[in-house]
Amino acid sequence: MLKSILSKGRRLAGLGSLVAALTVTAPVMAQDKDPIVFGGSIPLSGVFAFAGVHLHAGLTDYTSWINSQGGINGHPVKYVMEDTGYEVDRSVAAFKKISGSDAPAVYYGDSTGFMKAISAELNSMGTTLMSGASFATALTDNEQYPYQFIPGPNYSQMFGIILEYIASQGKEGDMPTVAFVYSDTEFGKDPIANGKTMAADLGIKVVEEIVTKPGSVDVSAEVLKLRRVRPDYVVFHGYVLSPINEFMVQMRQMGLDTQFMGTFWSSDKLIIDKMGKDADGYMGVMPYNYYDSDETGPMLDALRAQAEKSDPKAGYRPTGYMQGWFNAMVWTEVIKRTLDAGKELTAENMAASLASIENWDTGGIIGIPVTVRDMSFPVGRIWRVNAEQGRYEPVSDWIHLD
Amino acid sequence: MDWLFFGEISLAGLAMGGLYALIALGFVMIYKATRVINFAIGEIMMFAAYLFLAFAGGMELSPWIAMPLAVLGGSILGGVIEKTMIRPMLGESPISVVMVTIGIASILVGVVEFFWTADPQLLPQFLPREPVFIGPLYLAPKIAYGFLIGAAVLVLYLLYFRFSRGGVALRATASDQAAAYSMGINVRRVFNLAWVFGSLAASLAGILVAATGGLSPQFGIIGLSVLVVVIVGGLDSILGALIAGLFIGWLETVAGAYLGGEYRMPATFVVLAVILVIRPYGLFGTHEIERV
Repeated sequence: MLKSILSKGRRLAGLGSLVAALTVTAPVMAQDKDPIVFGGSIPLSGVFAFAGVHLHAGLTDYTSWINSQGGINGHPVKYVMEDTGYEVDRSVAAFKKISGSDAPAVYYGDSTGFMKAISAELNSMGTTLMSGASFATALTDNEQYPYQFIPGPNYSQMFGIILEYIASQGKEGDMPTVAFVYSDTEFGKDPIANGKTMAADLGIKVVEEIVTKPGSVDVSAEVLKLRRVRPDYVVFHGYVLSPINEFMVQMRQMGLDTQFMGTFWSSDKLIIDKMGKDADGYMGVMPYNYYDSDETGPMLDALRAQAEKSDPKAGYRPTGYMQGWFNAMVWTEVIKRTLDAGKELTAENMAASLASIENWDTGGIIGIPVTVRDMSFPVGRIWRVNAEQGRYEPVSDWIHLD
Repeated sequence: MDWLFFGEISLAGLAMGGLYALIALGFVMIYKATRVINFAIGEIMMFAAYLFLAFAGGMELSPWIAMPLAVLGGSILGGVIEKTMIRPMLGESPISVVMVTIGIASILVGVVEFFWTADPQLLPQFLPREPVFIGPLYLAPKIAYGFLIGAAVLVLYLLYFRFSRGGVALRATASDQAAAYSMGINVRRVFNLAWVFGSLAASLAGILVAATGGLSPQFGIIGLSVLVVVIVGGLDSILGALIAGLFIGWLETVAGAYLGGEYRMPATFVVLAVILVIRPYGLFGTHEIERV
């Protein structure tokens, strides 16, 4: 086991040395046209590095794959990134540097903070379309952020999908009750106000709201509060692992039959790997099929084949990998549509191409055709942990919000 | 007022406060003997918790063997840091020494990210999982047993400092280095001993806190939160660390339960500000008077 930990560490270190060059360039292709640049402020270190390495792997693998398919309309793709440590100032510096040297058509932002901070410059430049790790509700405000989009549902839409599922488990006059547990961060608070409104519209009573520090904290006092209101569902947001595990274990120790649900970053397989049997029954909303799901499709199969090819020892690829890949897929679709229309690759033209996406078949990455609404893909599905199988299994149909 | 709820919340807060006290002890011991504020204490906690993860999770040793091994590893780390990085800084400005400890913290984060990646981790379960009831009051088992282990170690520490030769040497050095040196006490060795014992307390606390709330390379930030405890109690007072640890743990929990989680930290910082205004050297700290 130690050996496995060490080898994992060395693999990461290997990735780190690769990244030390700070630039990842696509394989040289026999293509004459100018390369199209995918830029990125990527959190390979710092608090978000656990996801950053996988986002980066997804973007890198997609770049290799699209180049192996002849690039985008014959243009090779070049992926240029810098490690940001998940710090806004470093992300901004990386953006300026990459914009100056490589003129990226599209760009991956590593945080909501960065994407908000850079919006004025992005708007004035008018050359680059941006998406990234953020699913922040605010970024779907097209007035303020016309050149940024969300590669899935925003956090409020995720709450909408979760609440629709919860409502479907009750009946009129006897709706389940719910408690929201979220971290005391901008990320954690994002969907709460909208979530309460949506719950009220669906007749679901929010019986408690708990705010905690993110990460490693003792939550026994918060669990005592929940014991008094006995919610049918607890919805977590703004966490990756801890303290979700402690809430679940302690509430079950108290004999409560509450069910637990979470949003995108709280629904990785990490929860199963680390919690083991205690994770059984945990549910998450996920816009993409899991890497190890039974679902198939041409793009999902291509993703799995490319992942296997780039690192045969890696095995399962986390949701961050899927997210990185999907971001690059959307960029490609947008660039392709813009070029096919004979237009220049400006932010405005690409944003218009994005808005034109309707009933788009993602080749199995998302299980149903998707339509862009307000610069986001408001679609998702509820998955439940089967701890014995060590994976998430779908428990709802795909839910596409209007 | 629901007194049962208040009682349960208070109990949970005091139990968590016991762990804060243990971390604070690590701060105080090092400061008391060497006058160094060790900003790497949280990362030493984190490192020991990762060692525990490697021993109990990776090598699948019994947790009860893994825990002393990890604590030993954390203590040795403290001793090595003192000997190789802090001792050469003797006589330098306090800011330089503080910066060295901040640098050490950063290096330790890099080391754990290298070996264990940046993924969040959970420690293998080793504390009993049956709910603990004290009369009608419920207490989460991890917190309860963590508190008991922490309290037992605190008692051992106090006995050691009261009765052992090493403890007396440490106290003598803390009160007057020059006098201790002239009495034949090996002051350098005492400095090293303080780092070893301070790191030992922090390492044990690290494992117990990580068992409760999980582990990640950012875990060390808890060490900074406990700085509030140390300043409130007095940087050079072991008794202050114990009392302030329990009080801040209780206050944080009660504030979180009644006002909301976002008020946990503000509540403690209000107390910190008030204490600093009234007693700048902390509740039980030494008020040093310099005469010229």
